[in-house]
Amino acid sequence: MPARVLIVEGHPVLRGVIRLACDGSPALEVVGEAAEGQDALVVSAEVSPQIVVLDLDLPDMRGLDVVRELRKRPRPPRVLALAARTDDRTLFATFRASVDGLVEKTASVAEIVEAVERVAGGSRVFTADHERRAIRELGRMARSARESTRVSALLTGREIEVLQLLAEGLTLHQAARRLRISPRTVETHVRKAYRKLGVHNRVQALRQAASLGVVSIG
Amino acid sequence: MVKDAKPPARRSRPAPSHRLGVVVVEPLAVVRAGLTMLIDDRPDMHVVAEAATAQACVDGLKRLRRTRIVVLIGVGLAGERDAFWLIRAVRETHPSAVILACGANADAATVSRALFVGADGYVDKNVDPVDFLQSIRAAAEGEVVLPGEAAEWVAPIADGIDRRRDLELRLTEREREVLAVAAEGLTAREIAARLGVRERTVTTHLGRIYGKLGVHGRVSAVLQAARSGLVSVTRAE
Repeated sequence: MPARVLIVEGHPVLRGVIRLACDGSPALEVVGEAAEGQDALVVSAEVSPQIVVLDLDLPDMRGLDVVRELRKRPRPPRVLALAARTDDRTLFATFRASVDGLVEKTASVAEIVEAVERVAGGSRVFTADHERRAIRELGRMARSARESTRVSALLTGREIEVLQLLAEGLTLHQAARRLRISPRTVETHVRKAYRKLGVHNRVQALRQAASLGVVSIG
Repeated sequence: MVKDAKPPARRSRPAPSHRLGVVVVEPLAVVRAGLTMLIDDRPDMHVVAEAATAQACVDGLKRLRRTRIVVLIGVGLAGERDAFWLIRAVRETHPSAVILACGANADAATVSRALFVGADGYVDKNVDPVDFLQSIRAAAEGEVVLPGEAAEWVAPIADGIDRRRDLELRLTEREREVLAVAAEGLTAREIAARLGVRERTVTTHLGRIYGKLGVHGRVSAVLQAARSGLVSVTRAE
């Protein structure tokens, strides 16, 4: 029995080519096509494919969100991701979403079909380079997590509050009114926060605090 | 001890300073000796220090003059200064050192915890010696080493790191301390005595911790902290 394949690809030509190539493989049977994420979820529910070939850059929603939705289904299909960009962060996010394989769009049609066949056969399809780069990004993530907790442990609750208000675009005076303290006190909190973050101005401070996850920029 | 017929000393070896220096930290003497022999037998690396405890490692590192080292830390190191304490300490004192946690039957939670506190990877003691040595070399080259395939390990390890980070960002340093002591099963009075504060202060901290973690009692708070790797819960072997 050939494996039932759903092809989700925003570009009509590429979609058609992948379909033709999959139909040419005795191991595969294309049971549906979709050009957008929402559509893919609807079609997937109708045809219950065993494998979804999924473009990560869909016009309407993020490809990895489609993966997460598909994973919630009672019998989740295996997913082969098609990626246009393969920077370290994208790779890492793809690995985190637990897809079963990843091919770059620059791959030949033969390579894409071979990847679909291997995923259908139960293998995971990643190159050694993709794995190494995803793991490297994991290392960076661990470092930044450690760093953010270290810095947030240095900052007092009040300092974080003040930074958060500044991040929301309030001036020192507005922040002071909001917290019912004097502008002088707000200034002191800000100065102390700068020192702890090792920065010299507000832009640097907010950037640093946001990248550490101490404040969120709206 | 039976060795190769070939006398290894005859092989042309790079000068010691060009070889990768490895520090082996492992509580079990036999395992430590085995790791040391395995590493010393290679022409491109050698053991520059061995330690059975965290303190011995910290002292040993102070005496070392070289900067290009790999510190191999067995996660079996227990007690108040356990493997994770040591990883954090070495990361702070030797920022450029490569730290590898090392253990048998790795689980994602342990690997997350090791990476979070500062390890550059985790090697499984159960793997083939050739792969084991290759992991040390890869780590020395700046790679992050995992105990298995990326497709299987990246997601659960990253989730573990996220949980730990979220938990730590929510709690103050004092609250984390209180939680760590509470995990040992002490009463509020005993916790207060240990930390040198009043019992009332401890119950206030505990109340705040429960609120922040969204739990209603000490057991669930400790469980959540243990799952995130914030505290160790000693299990009966």
